Amino acid sequence: MLNAQITAAILGIALGGAILYLVRRDHLHGPFAAWWLVVAVATLALGVFPALVIWLGDLTGIRYAPVLPIIIALSFILLRLLKLDIDRSRQERQVRRLTQKLAILERELDTLRGNGTPQGSSGTRTDGVDAD
Amino acid sequence: MGVVAAAMPVRPRRRLTGIQSPAENRGPFRPGHPLETNLSARCLAVIPARDEVLTVAGVVAGVRAAVGCDVLVVDDASTDGTGRAARQAGATVLQLPIGLGAWGASQAGIRYAVRHGYAAVLTLDADGQHLPESLPSLFAAQQRSGANVVIGTCLERLSTAKRIAWRYLRALTGLRLRDFTSGLRLYDEESMRTLAGPEASLLDYQDVGVLMLLASQGMRIVETETPMKPREIGHSRVFASWAVVARYMFNTTVLCISRLDRGHRVATLAATVKS
Repeated sequence: MLNAQITAAILGIALGGAILYLVRRDHLHGPFAAWWLVVAVATLALGVFPALVIWLGDLTGIRYAPVLPIIIALSFILLRLLKLDIDRSRQERQVRRLTQKLAILERELDTLRGNGTPQGSSGTRTDGVDAD
Repeated sequence: MGVVAAAMPVRPRRRLTGIQSPAENRGPFRPGHPLETNLSARCLAVIPARDEVLTVAGVVAGVRAAVGCDVLVVDDASTDGTGRAARQAGATVLQLPIGLGAWGASQAGIRYAVRHGYAAVLTLDADGQHLPESLPSLFAAQQRSGANVVIGTCLERLSTAKRIAWRYLRALTGLRLRDFTSGLRLYDEESMRTLAGPEASLLDYQDVGVLMLLASQGMRIVETETPMKPREIGHSRVFASWAVVARYMFNTTVLCISRLDRGHRVATLAATVKS
C-alpha cells in the first residue's frame, strides 16, 4: 500500500519528467511546456502537502476539502480547452489568409513569367516546377 | 528561381493583368467621384467555383459578353478540372490549394482585386443561376443609389422555409434586406477593402456575417431585383439538408447575438432599389 502522498509525488514527478523529455525531443513547444510544468508542480505540491488542500478548503468555504483538487483540475482543463479553441480559431484565420495569398502570388508569378496558363491545375502537376 | 523561369517555354502573353505598384493601386476612383460612371470597365468579376466544370465556361463567357470586364475564377480546390475550363474560357484563375468554401474563395478574389487596383468587384455563382443579362442592372442600381454594395435579389426563388428564415434573420440582425445569401453582388472599392481584411476571414458564408461587417463599417447596402434561373446543376451549399440548415441557423444566431450592436446601429442605411 502506497501512501497517498507518495502516489501524488510520483505522479507529479513523472509528469514533470515527461514534459522535460518531450521538450528535449522537440515534441513540445516552449509556452505549452511551461503550462504543463506548472500543472506538474501543482500536482506535486497538493499531493505532498495535503494540509494545503485543507487550508484552501477553509479559505474558499468548501466544507468537503478533498473535492477541491478535482474542482480546481476541472476548471483548469476547461480553461485550457477554451484557450485551445481560441488558438485554433486564430490559426484557422491564418491558414485561410495564407491559402488565399498563396493562390494570388502563384497567379502573379505565372503572369510575371509571361505564362498565361499555369502548370498546376486541380492537382495534376506534370512539370515539376513546384517540386523544387 | 531564375534558372527555372528561363527554362520554361516561352508562351504568348494572353492578357496583361500586370502586377501594379502600390502607387498605381490608388486609381482615380473614389466613392462619389465622377469617374464612378465607368465602374463596369474597371470592375473584376469574381466567380468562386468548386467542381462546376459543366457550367463555369458558360458563366465566364456570359459575363465577358455582358459586362466586358476582367473575369477571375477562384477555383476552390476543385477536382474536376474547373480551373482549366475557366482558363480556356478566357478567365484568370486563382487556384486555392485548400478548399475554403464559397466565402473564402470570394475573399481571395476580393483580395486579388484590391492588390491589382480594381475599382469594383462583381461576384456571382459559377453554377449559372445568375443571368449575365441581369448584371448591368447592378451597375445601374449602384449608380442610382451611390451605395457601397448592391445585392442582386431574386424573390421568386425563395421557398417558404427560406422566407421564415429570412424574417428571423432580419429581426435578429436589424438589416432590412430581403435576401441574405444571394451570391450576386457588386462591391465598390471601399467595401472591397473592408472585406479584404482579416476580420472577414473567419466567416464561413458570405451572408449575415459579411453583411453585418459591412454595415458596422458604415457601408450602404441596397438590393435590386434580378431574374434568376433555377440552378442547372448542383444545389445550394447552405440549404442542402435540414441538419445543415439547423447548424447554419444556430451558428448565425450566435454570430448575430455576439454582434447585435453592429446591425442595429446602421439598420436605417439599408434600403431597396426597385429596378
